Formats: sequence, structure tokens, C-alpha cells
Amino acid sequence: MANGEILAPVSGSVWKIECTEGQAVSEGDTLMILESMKMEIPVEAPVSGTIASLTVKEGDPVEEDAVLGVVTT
Amino acid sequence: MTPLRPASHIPMDTLLSELAFRRREAEKMGGEAAVARQHAAGRLTVRERIRALGDPDSFSELAALTGTGAYDADQTLRGVTPAPYVCGTVRIAGRTTVVGGEDFTVRGGTTFSAPRRKGGQGGLTEDFAYHYRLPLVNLVDGAGGGVGSIEQRGHTVFPGVHGFERSVALLSRSPVASAVLGTAAGGPAGRAILSHFSVMVRGGSQIFAAGPPVVKRSLGHAVDKEDLGGAAVAVDEAGTIHNAADSEADALHQIRRFLSFMPQNVWEPPPVEECDDPIGRYEESLRGILPKSRNQPFDVRRVISLIVDQGSEFEIQPTYGKSVVTMLARFGGRPAGVIANNPMVYAGAMDDRSARKHVRFMQLCDTFHIPIVFLVDVPGFMVGIRAEKRATLLEGMRVVHAAAQLTVPTATVVLRKCYGMAGMATCNKNGVDYKLAWPTGEWGSLPIEGGVAAAYRREIAAAPDPTAKEAEIEARMRPYASPFRTAEAFAVEDIIDPAETRPVLCGLIELAAARIHHDLGPRRGPGGFIP
Repeated sequence: MANGEILAPVSGSVWKIECTEGQAVSEGDTLMILESMKMEIPVEAPVSGTIASLTVKEGDPVEEDAVLGVVTT
Repeated sequence: MTPLRPASHIPMDTLLSELAFRRREAEKMGGEAAVARQHAAGRLTVRERIRALGDPDSFSELAALTGTGAYDADQTLRGVTPAPYVCGTVRIAGRTTVVGGEDFTVRGGTTFSAPRRKGGQGGLTEDFAYHYRLPLVNLVDGAGGGVGSIEQRGHTVFPGVHGFERSVALLSRSPVASAVLGTAAGGPAGRAILSHFSVMVRGGSQIFAAGPPVVKRSLGHAVDKEDLGGAAVAVDEAGTIHNAADSEADALHQIRRFLSFMPQNVWEPPPVEECDDPIGRYEESLRGILPKSRNQPFDVRRVISLIVDQGSEFEIQPTYGKSVVTMLARFGGRPAGVIANNPMVYAGAMDDRSARKHVRFMQLCDTFHIPIVFLVDVPGFMVGIRAEKRATLLEGMRVVHAAAQLTVPTATVVLRKCYGMAGMATCNKNGVDYKLAWPTGEWGSLPIEGGVAAAYRREIAAAPDPTAKEAEIEARMRPYASPFRTAEAFAVEDIIDPAETRPVLCGLIELAAARIHHDLGPRRGPGGFIP
């Protein structure tokens, strides 16, 4: 299984980050929440593994499909 | 050369045995080796597909004898290679449907050059469906004509000699469903698009304007046919084909499901089925189905499943334009189209893709007199640079345009947000314009948050504490956002208990039936059905 890039499902801002680098996660876990169109949009782990890196911080604007971090399997 | 005797001198037995021989030849398709190759590729033959599509033993073949005969020097028939297209009628749930498909085992399903065509655009199958006002199922497995015929003809053919006029005209008369079951380009691909519903096999079929050899020649790019036109591109990314299927059997099953909601033609009402799910069923769980915070998404498919006849949903384009959900379903046995904003994707905002999907689905319903139920939770058109670059405003206004031309009865239920021009696309001002809302409904030309900042910019900027001022104005306006205030003013027709959504909608769909019955026939207005 390849490493998984955490991608923004929608354009918006990073509202809340709910994971840290090095943390073990399961596929489908909510890693962070974006604020978009005044809604809280969860960002899920693309694969099970460990958070290798997070490339955004709370408050950052992101475009759809932007890489927010990487999960290594 | 022995002169042939007139046929009338040949005994009937002999003539019948030749007929039987020719029919058996047709059954053999491209021969044992070719059929084995088709199976080895994980594919059914066209005859197996037709049998899988129709009710048992319901296939009645048309034009089985067409083909290329092989004769000895004394004109004795040795064999017939059938035309690479098999067609006829089957019954689907008892109703007659025209079906035709390329036979890939015969010359790869390429076009058969004869004065009259069996399949393809303007062929017998389309004429049959048009003339008898029957649904048509295309089983697409071929790339159309090749350049090989140029040598036979001695000239090249102007595009459109075998045009799509009949395919287009059929779309405003009878349901057309297409399954792409091989690699489709050219004419067969065109006809798959000129359909009310299309499906392809994920991992097993491809469709494109031009295949890998042409791409290589034109762009110098080496591409794999699955990367170019597999379901991940044609269904999920582009929406060129409506649905993906897991297998050929699933694709054919989806077509049966689709047709179960369709009338035989636009002169007949949509088919009503027996329904054992009570139309008066209250669903108390709907009262708690929205999250406590209005900023959190919820599963609108769950809402739909609780409202429609149990298990009746058939979703169209589930993997494309996902911020709106489009489903055929039944209310008290009567078909309806459900269009629901999906807050789990883009917060339900309408983007270019969901807009395109929304228009196609409304046109489908309107063409076949299927009433539409809108379940609304839309914050507006998608915003931002990316959305503007994708012409969201243009695509969104096309939805408003299409909604304004609807002739079929509609019912609108606002579950939560209904904002802006995207909100306008979820009701029909030409009819009774009956808008219902759950008590959680909220609406406006734009939401109070954000709207306040724009409208009261100077007042806010001049205040000693602008943030507090903005919050103060928002708090002052918030009570006006109560849906009951709008109902008081009769600007929304009614507020309903979420638990009574099904009984109310079943009632409205039943009311629509009489109206639909009197409005049967081709859809008024210009253009007809555009895929």
C-alpha cells in the first residue's frame, strides 16, 4: 500500500487540526476540519498508517486538492 | 455454370432447411474461436448480453439473416458470416423493448456496409423504436466504421451521411439506455452519449472521442486506454457516462432498473407499481436527523431512504458532481425524481459539475413526465477562484434556466439552507410553486453572516469595536431568519414536521398524476432532450 497524501476535499480554510505528526491513524479517521461555505468539512485519513507530515496550520487557506499532509503506511 | 432454377420449384422442405441453416449460422456469431476469445477477455457475447437483459426466452430477433454468404463455384452455400450487429426485441419486466448491439466476435463489431443498416445511427433498431414508440437499449461494443471501407467505395464519406438525426429525435420520444461493454469510439460512442441513461463496466470498458493510437498520432502521447477512457475518467471525472457497473451483469441490471421507472414513450404515463410501504408512514427519526450544529454536514441519502418507498432508490451519477444527489425513486408506487443537495460535499454548494448533473436529471424527468422532489440544503453556488475558472456562474444559471422551463409538477422541501440563485434552481415558479420547509429551514438571497458585513460595511467600520458591531447587527437580524416569519408572510407555503415528510410528498405526487396524464406527449419548448 502506497503512502497517502491528505488532500483538501474542498477549497476553504483549515479550521481545526485534530492530529499530530507521528500519530497512528486509521483510514477514515477525521484528521482536521476545514471551514468552507460556512460549514465544517472533515478531512479523513486516506489510508491507515502514521502521520508523516502536516503541511498546513490552523487558519491557512487551502485550495481543493491541496496536499495537507502525508500518511505513511 | 448451372442455371439456377426459380425458387418456386425448390421443395418447401429444402427451402426451410436452408432457412434453418442460415439461422444456425447467425447463432454462431464470429465462430468458436472468436467467441472463446470474447469469453477469455471476461466478456459476454452480444447474444448472451441480450438474453441477460431481457426476461427469460423473450428475445425476438430481427434481421438475423443479414451477413456475408460464402458460396462454392456452383453457388452452393457453404456458410454465412453474420453482420456484426444483433438486434430485436426483448421484454423487460413484461414490457417490450428494442435492443441491439455490436457483435465483437465478427470483425470487432465494425460497421457492416449494406444499403440499409441494422444498427448504428439511423439503423433499423432506432427506426423500430421510433416507429413503434418503444424504449431502445444499445449494447455498445465497437468503434464504428474504419477507413477500410474507403477502398471499397473509392471515395471518402462526408461526416454525417450516417447522421445522428434519428438518434436525436428518438430522445424526445422514447427512453434510450446504453451500456458500454467494450471499447467505444466513433459512432457507437456517440450513440452511448445520445441516451437518457448510460452505464459502463468499471475496469472492463472504455469510451473516448479518440483512442490511444489517435492520441499517439495527434499529440505524441502514449496513453493506456483505461487511463484515457475508463470509468474513472468517463464516469467519475467527466460525467460523460452516467453510472459505472461492477460487471456486465450489473450494467444490464442497472438498465432494467432504469427502465422500470420509465414509460414506454412520452405519450404514456410513468409506470406505477404496487407498493407495500404505507404512504402514511410517519418517520420520527427524521426529527433528529440533522446535526445539532447548522455548520455540520449530514447524510442526505439517509433522508431520502426514509422518505421514499423502501428500497426504491436508483441513483443516477452517484460518483460525479457529488454535491447534488439525483435519484429515481417511488412514492406510493409512483415514480419521481429526487434532487437533493448533499452537504457532505462542498457543503452542498453547487459547482459546475453538480450543476450539469442537475440539468441533465431535470431534463430526463421533464421529458418523461416524472414529477420532481427537491430536498434543499444549498448554501449557494460554489465560490472562489477555482470555482470561477470553471464557469460555476454560467453552469449554475443554466440550472436556473432549465428549472424555469420545467413543465412537470415539482415539490420543494427545504431541509435547511436555501440561499441565492442556487436556491432558485430548486423550485419551479411556473407551477403552483409549492415550497415546504422543515422548521430548520433558513433562506435568503444570502446568509446573514457575511451578508451583514457587506450590507453594513460603513456602520461596522465606523464603530469603536467593529467585530462587536457586526455581531450585534447579526444578533438583531437573526430572529427574522425564523422560517415561521416567512410562513406568516406566506412567502413559503407551509412548514412541516420532518416526520410527516413522506405522507405529504406521497400526497403531492399522487395529485400530480392527473396533471401528468393530461400533459402527456412530447415536451413543449425548444430543443427537446439534450444529453
